[in-house]
Amino acid sequence: MAKIVNPEKGTWSNQVISEIQYKAENGKYRIRGCGSPRRVPNFDDLMILPGQLTRMPIDTYRESCSTRTVLGPAAENPLVIETPVMIAGMSFGALSKHAKIALAKATSLVGTVISNGEGGCLPEEMENSYRQSIQILASRMGFHKDLLFKADMLEILFGIGAKPGLAGHLMGAKITEEISKIRQIPAGIDLHSHPRSGDSFGADDLVVKIEQLREMLHKNTGGHTPPIFAKIAAARVREDIKIAVKAGFDGIILDGCTAGTGAAPVMAADHLGIPILPAAVQAVRTLEEIGAKDRVSLIVSGGVKDGADLAKALAIGADAIAIGTAAMVAMGCRVCMNCQAGRCAFGIGTQDPELVAKLDIDEAAHKVANYIKAMTEEAVLLAKAAGKTKLQNLEREDLRSLTLESCAMTGIPLAGSDLVFGEGFGFAAGKSL
Amino acid sequence: MEHIDASAVANKDFNPMVWKAIEDGAKEILISNVHSMHYVLAGTDQPVKVTIEDSTGMYTCSYLENAEVRVKGNVGWYAGDNMVSGKLIVEQNTGCNVGTYIAGGDLVVYGSTGTRVGYGMKGGHIIIGGSAERWAGQMAMGGELIVLGSLGLGAGESMYEGKIFTRDPGAAGKLGGNVAYSEITEEEAAELDALFAEYGFDAEGKQFHVIRPVLDAAGKHKYTLFRPILEPEKAAKKRGE
Ligand code: SF4
Repeated sequence: MAKIVNPEKGTWSNQVISEIQYKAENGKYRIRGCGSPRRVPNFDDLMILPGQLTRMPIDTYRESCSTRTVLGPAAENPLVIETPVMIAGMSFGALSKHAKIALAKATSLVGTVISNGEGGCLPEEMENSYRQSIQILASRMGFHKDLLFKADMLEILFGIGAKPGLAGHLMGAKITEEISKIRQIPAGIDLHSHPRSGDSFGADDLVVKIEQLREMLHKNTGGHTPPIFAKIAAARVREDIKIAVKAGFDGIILDGCTAGTGAAPVMAADHLGIPILPAAVQAVRTLEEIGAKDRVSLIVSGGVKDGADLAKALAIGADAIAIGTAAMVAMGCRVCMNCQAGRCAFGIGTQDPELVAKLDIDEAAHKVANYIKAMTEEAVLLAKAAGKTKLQNLEREDLRSLTLESCAMTGIPLAGSDLVFGEGFGFAAGKSL
Repeated sequence: MEHIDASAVANKDFNPMVWKAIEDGAKEILISNVHSMHYVLAGTDQPVKVTIEDSTGMYTCSYLENAEVRVKGNVGWYAGDNMVSGKLIVEQNTGCNVGTYIAGGDLVVYGSTGTRVGYGMKGGHIIIGGSAERWAGQMAMGGELIVLGSLGLGAGESMYEGKIFTRDPGAAGKLGGNVAYSEITEEEAAELDALFAEYGFDAEGKQFHVIRPVLDAAGKHKYTLFRPILEPEKAAKKRGE
């Protein structure tokens, strides 16, 4: 009997087989870099409506369209950046020193903000960045009080999209002497950092903690308190945002489930959290519902890759987007998903001095800056086509859903119609969201 | 000595009022009627001596630097969190998570403390005259935690660096993961004796043992996700064969 050649294996794809083989051989789950390769509903499932007879497009080449972005408008000293594209928190540890410096330099070339990520802030990052965001993490590794007063923006981190609910993870291979020094931990150990902030174990404590931080920041910055953001992974978005607003945050960074990371258990990356598209919609609806949309900024992240994603995120109601993996790709990363091994051939996701030396800082900085400039221009081009003189003027009405799924998830009308599915589905049917 | 009566002061006006007094030259301040306000003296960074006559609420002396503060009553949760230097001395008891992320200075409690004292601490000394509840020194990254009374379960869970000094006779049976119970060295005992003399504790360094991180076991945490029985003999025994 003839053998079946190249059978369609359905559930048992080569990827699934490889995962089972890994577990069978090692008796443990696999750790992977870069987050999840899963296809989830995303901004590509939306289209932007250009102006035609109902409204005039703005001239692509001869009329202006502003990209300046104000984050945390209710803070004493709101953060003003020239493009609504920020560089997300990626640690010195996951990334090489060269990569971190290049990203910081890129922010100065385009006028935006970079977040330091876990494990302290390299002095070279702070020196070279246009605006600096400092994360306050549960691990507090590499953190010290003075960093708070040098920041243009602060982020209290509750979770990241790639592995929400899990502690940070840095494999021993990447903990060199320098990393160990800046993180204030021993070299060479497999690091599982702290899962919860020891100085605020609950939502009510957080209200008091933020008041305390603000009072101290006001004193030490001479009345120029930067905005304080909550970085949260997309999960129970509605409830989380309400709590964050009640706690007094000036903004939210919402990280979707396809966000990247240096190392995460495969199952966590693939199955924890929800995509940024429906999460962003839920966040905006919640901020509107509680009347906080104008004073609380929303930054979305987790797989944002081009100007169309940016334009659509702004149209949904976000104020800015954060890029992580995309900025790495601009520097030369090929998304091989092996960051956790610490052997990046391009000098990005590694601490090996020989490999790090391969990344030319200035060249990489220019590439990242070029990429941010070009993606901002792409968004401007789309916004002008939709008749906007400001990127921030993009609105929900400018969007249509391409798929039933995105229509249902976002409540944005299906292309070719003005119809949506109504207020709720399944468990929520009949219940107002 | 400057005297401040805080009975009619709102929480949000309290620290600025004290800071103003410091700016105006006060070197020693006595404060009464603080009535458990939150973040009392948090962020204070001048070399000043402050005595608080009653009790304080959450986040007492957060991010404290240079100052020396004595609280005659109790303090709430998270007292001395993120302290950088200086002293916080508490004459009675505290809530949980005190000394979280402390990077330097001395936090001295004459009474007892709740759970997770010294969580993620990185430096400095925390001395507890009474007992400490569960998970003392959890995930510490440095510093020294000294407990004169009894320890709760899970002491030192997943510490990366730092030490817990204990004279609880049952301490060896209350350890968290990734730590070991060991003898105190002469140097360490001498260091404790100096601290006990400074703060007036009736104890001797040589009565203590030390809980230290075991780094080669890092990553092999006590509470793994699932620990099945892989040895056939053990499995047979469980089945009652
Ligand atoms: S190319 Fe380098 S940075 Fe990119 S995924 Fe691979 S190891 Fe990581």
